[in-house]
Amino acid sequence: MNAISAQAAALDQPVPRRAPSVPSTIAAVAGRSLRDAIRSRWFVLYTLAFAVLGLAVSFVSAAGAGGAGLSGFGRTTAGLINLVLLVVPLMALTAGAASIAGDRERGMLAYLLAQPVRRCEVLLGVYAGLAGALVASVCLGLGVCGAILAARGMRTGAGSMLWLAGLSIALALGMLSVGVLISVLARRASVAVGTAVFTWLLLVFVSDLALMAGAVAMRLRIQELLTLALLNPLQVFKMWSLHAADASLDVLGPAGLYALDTWGPWLHAVFGGCMLGWIVLPLVAAGLCFSRRSPL
Amino acid sequence: MIRIENVSKRFGRTRAVDSVSLALPAGDSVALWGANGAGKTTLIRCLLGLLRFQGRIAVGGRDVLRDGKRARLLVGYVPQELGFHDELGVAEAVRFFGRLKGIARLDAEAALASVGLAGHGGKRVRELSGGMKQRLALSIALLGDPPVLVLDEVTASLDAVGREELVGLLGGLSGQGRTMLFASHRPEEVAVLARRVAVMERGRIVRTVLAAEFASAHQGRAVLHLVMAAEHRDRAVRSLTDGGFAASLNGVGVLVHVAPEHKAAPFRLLARAGIAIDDFDITPVPERTP
Amino acid sequence: MNRRRRAITATLVTLAALWSAPAAAQTHDAPAARPADASPRAPLGELGRRIASAPAGSTIVVEPGVYREHLTIDRPLALVGRPGAVIDGGGSGDIIEITAPDVTVRGLTVRNTGIDLDKENAAVRVLAPRATLESLVLEDVLFGIDLREAPDSTLRGNTVGGKRLDIARRGDGLRLWRSDRCLVEGNTIHDGRDAIIWYSTGVTVRDNHGRDCRYGLHLMFSDSVTIESNRFENNSVGVYLMYSTGVEVRGNRLTGNRGPSGYGLGLKETDRFTVRDNLIAANRAGIYIDGSPFTASIPGTFTRNTVACNDVGVVFLPSARGNELYENNFIDNIDQIAVAGRGDLSANSFFKGERGNFWSDYTGYDLNHDGVGDFVHESQTLFENLMDRNPSLRLMLFSPAQQAIEFVGRAVPAIRPEAKFTDEVPLMRPVEITVSAPDAPAGAPAQAIGAALLLIVGGGLVGLARAGRSATGGVA
Repeated sequence: MNAISAQAAALDQPVPRRAPSVPSTIAAVAGRSLRDAIRSRWFVLYTLAFAVLGLAVSFVSAAGAGGAGLSGFGRTTAGLINLVLLVVPLMALTAGAASIAGDRERGMLAYLLAQPVRRCEVLLGVYAGLAGALVASVCLGLGVCGAILAARGMRTGAGSMLWLAGLSIALALGMLSVGVLISVLARRASVAVGTAVFTWLLLVFVSDLALMAGAVAMRLRIQELLTLALLNPLQVFKMWSLHAADASLDVLGPAGLYALDTWGPWLHAVFGGCMLGWIVLPLVAAGLCFSRRSPL
Repeated sequence: MIRIENVSKRFGRTRAVDSVSLALPAGDSVALWGANGAGKTTLIRCLLGLLRFQGRIAVGGRDVLRDGKRARLLVGYVPQELGFHDELGVAEAVRFFGRLKGIARLDAEAALASVGLAGHGGKRVRELSGGMKQRLALSIALLGDPPVLVLDEVTASLDAVGREELVGLLGGLSGQGRTMLFASHRPEEVAVLARRVAVMERGRIVRTVLAAEFASAHQGRAVLHLVMAAEHRDRAVRSLTDGGFAASLNGVGVLVHVAPEHKAAPFRLLARAGIAIDDFDITPVPERTP
Repeated sequence: MNRRRRAITATLVTLAALWSAPAAAQTHDAPAARPADASPRAPLGELGRRIASAPAGSTIVVEPGVYREHLTIDRPLALVGRPGAVIDGGGSGDIIEITAPDVTVRGLTVRNTGIDLDKENAAVRVLAPRATLESLVLEDVLFGIDLREAPDSTLRGNTVGGKRLDIARRGDGLRLWRSDRCLVEGNTIHDGRDAIIWYSTGVTVRDNHGRDCRYGLHLMFSDSVTIESNRFENNSVGVYLMYSTGVEVRGNRLTGNRGPSGYGLGLKETDRFTVRDNLIAANRAGIYIDGSPFTASIPGTFTRNTVACNDVGVVFLPSARGNELYENNFIDNIDQIAVAGRGDLSANSFFKGERGNFWSDYTGYDLNHDGVGDFVHESQTLFENLMDRNPSLRLMLFSPAQQAIEFVGRAVPAIRPEAKFTDEVPLMRPVEITVSAPDAPAGAPAQAIGAALLLIVGGGLVGLARAGRSATGGVA
């Protein structure tokens, strides 16, 4: 063996060490990100806002029923759906958008990626941690509402409350995916959060208004209207929770009836599929972009 | 232990790193020496797999792009400045990075004590001084006793005291068979820590010298601060670097490290290049014995 | 044949069955092969023979046991079942046919009719006047009780459970055809098609409970009918009055009637009607008014009803005029009052004298404390207006975009739609009515459990996240 090859052998000699497994790395990053999120101001503010607004909705709908014990007919649920539609996407989008972009701006991301981690592990970990924070926020917010409603003897079943919470979480996960995608693509954290707020406006107001305008001006057929509405995760959430918590889509008029007639027992699958798409596809896109882009 | 083969990295039209090859056997310690913008930090980022690049870098035989996670497992990294969440607890940070490195049972206090941060575990990161933050980063880098240490101008943002403490710590580590690659433009660090010095200019390694030679060339050094018209500065830095000086740009002029017997050499060199010097100032660099 | 011994045996067996299982009860099969479709000429079973040999006016007591027979009662007598007496039609034909007047059938379980819609297989068919059907349990039947020209009959305390077939293949739980002055009281009808009353005058329908049918109660060409204190829930339509005159609908509870044309109460070309003291809630449309009152000069009266939590409180078709709605509570209907198509409500009035209705969306106040709001109540929300004109826009209900539109509608008078109707004397407080709200299927305790579950999950996550801090944190 000559000197050069001996030296080459010394250079490349592998050092026997085992890297931590994928789940353990994800769990570590997730735990970190969950803790950061729950300690952050936005978490406390959003949770408080959510709970307070939820209480307001509950009290108003209770007062409106004139004490006739009629509040059980889904008015509270409808009010809470409305609230979730406003607050949860905003919370999830901004939380997601601030995550990676913020870490990148602080230089934290480069330092983190200089550790023995894969980028997809970091992304999934961040996602999981924020998801945990959102789950906590939604559960606390709705839980407080539910507790107050129960204390006031309201007639909303436990089932519909849990459905609403579960679907809110699904919506939050979908919106978080979109937020994380924005975060990966944006150059700066402020741009990312701005884009997230814009996306929120788009999903909450603009697309619905456009759809209504379209329905009136272009005389959209019902199935077209319904299909277009299903592209909006907020509408999916709304229809799904009406279907699951109130068991009546016919409240949505002809389009709701059309959905009931067309899909019937498959409605859960249809809504679930749409929602899953919103959770998985943006996250996959974010993963692809994240693994290609420089973290600096 | 580290094998850098023909690595190039472009940012747009700039070649930040240009066909660099460098090999560090186990236990070797190499300083990347050069002015700001010479490509030291970019090369280190390539090594950490933070940037995509052409060529190949392997650490312990593991390709940093294809097998980055396992390659980085061998590397302890200290950045120029620690970008932490300020709210993070000090011991919590140590624990977190320990988990990423797969260390099951971790004594955070012991790890902190080893870098002189004993008793600071309960603080938040924002409560630490700059020097303490860098020592925290060092303690994290040393978790799991990695065979390779990569340091990127770790003293750049520190004051003289902090710098002295950190270099002292690092000096204690360099003799333990670890492979070290670090970027620096401070001769005293190079003298203390490096076995070899790779001098980088405009993305290339122009020569590699033994640290002893480098040190003797920089013995009893001083820093010469040359004031000149703005349009000449770039050319001046280039001429001086070509002439074997460590020169870098500074707000109003050019900084040159000079050995005592060569203090006038830069003037001669620049006069030959036709660059007029308006004023100058000279500061001695504190003497250090390894 | 030793009838007495058999009866004793049957009693003993039934007593035993009470301790073991109902299925163990002895069965009484009709001799010979049972015909696929019962006809008068089919061989008689035990009960059939007893009826055939009974004198008019006698009482036949049916001992517990399962009798697989199809009966025809052709003389005035009483057929009274002891508990556990079951007549099983074996899945074919009608089961009891009454061809004589003044027959009483009481306390029997009658089950398992045929499923032939053309022949209208019924559990009990009455073809003569003055029948009394009491405390019958009709199970698994196509048609339940079918009265054809059986005036002055009484149906009391019966339970009719339809076959769990597709709605198109079900029969009517209850049908009255040309049967005047009948009393239908305290019956329960579920899982059937309709309960329907045709060409029958002076019928009283009281204290009945209809659920999970198509029409809870359907009146066709039946005059002077009183419908009171009934509950109709989870049907397609609660009560539908058609082409009838002089109908009194009071004290009923009509809830959860939904479906493509789900109404709590529907009125089509009906005259001289009074709707009062009803609770009409959570239906797709609470009240649906089509061409009623038919004679516009005789007002239709709606008063002291609570119309709450329906998708639409009251739907007026353009043809509806001459209705007076006063002292009702309109609470939290998504759309309180709607006009289908391009009609208007000017021919109906929403107050009478100094009394209007209570509107949960009234925004005015009452400074002089006379219980009447100081401003008129006008319904004019932009989104409601859009929905009335373009029903497919209901898809956008509950979305923030809806509120945005309402807000714009309020803020910009130029695009504010015209008021649909005006209540000049809106009430400040709801009117008290006596009908109670239905019991909640899952009340507060269940919800408390749900809320607790959510709080535990949320709190647990926060706790988990915080625990890491305290474990690491401690004192510096």
